[in-house]
Amino acid sequence: MKKILLACSAGMSTSLLVTKMEEHAKTIGEEAKIWAVGQDKAKQDMAEADVVLIGPQMSFLKGELQKAADQYGIKVDVIDMMAYGLADGKKAYEQALTLMGDK
Amino acid sequence: MEKIDVNTLTAEQINFMLILHSGNARSKIIEALREYRAGKPEVADELLVQAEADLSVAHEIHFKLVQQEASGNKVEFALLLMHAEDHLMSTLSMKELVKELLEIFKEKKL
Repeated sequence: MKKILLACSAGMSTSLLVTKMEEHAKTIGEEAKIWAVGQDKAKQDMAEADVVLIGPQMSFLKGELQKAADQYGIKVDVIDMMAYGLADGKKAYEQALTLMGDK
Repeated sequence: MEKIDVNTLTAEQINFMLILHSGNARSKIIEALREYRAGKPEVADELLVQAEADLSVAHEIHFKLVQQEASGNKVEFALLLMHAEDHLMSTLSMKELVKELLEIFKEKKL
């Protein structure tokens, strides 16, 4: 089971992206737990994630979040601009898998 | 990022585009303050210029929505649109403030 955490300032835009990513995972028959949180909760929730994707409005926090994620051995990255701007669940999901590697 | 024709986007995608560009600007504005703190005022200035470019893209999209509604074609309301507006407006005030602050810091040699 792939566990993908999305975070943005209020957890709102990424919540919508979650739905689209889940739909994509379902169509390709993969089991995934995808959820979105606001930036305050990201550090706490990443303990249960395989990868963390953050919204563009939080990219200045990438370094800080990656530092926190290092203790769990997971990666943090900013959601691809095209994937985010077009609310493209497939693209965001694929980005998460690439970051996850063979986890 | 390649130029996207806003007219081909759904209402939801337009809202996401607004948040994307305001969000990019927001990150750059905060980075500008951090770079200034780190003793790199020229990097800070450059980041603010980039933030302004991001904001003008967001503004362009926003302006199209305003024009659309003004021409009698009502823009569909959504919580996400309100959220996108919030992002754009708060980032615009942030940019104005940070720009002023950096000028003060420079003048006072902080």
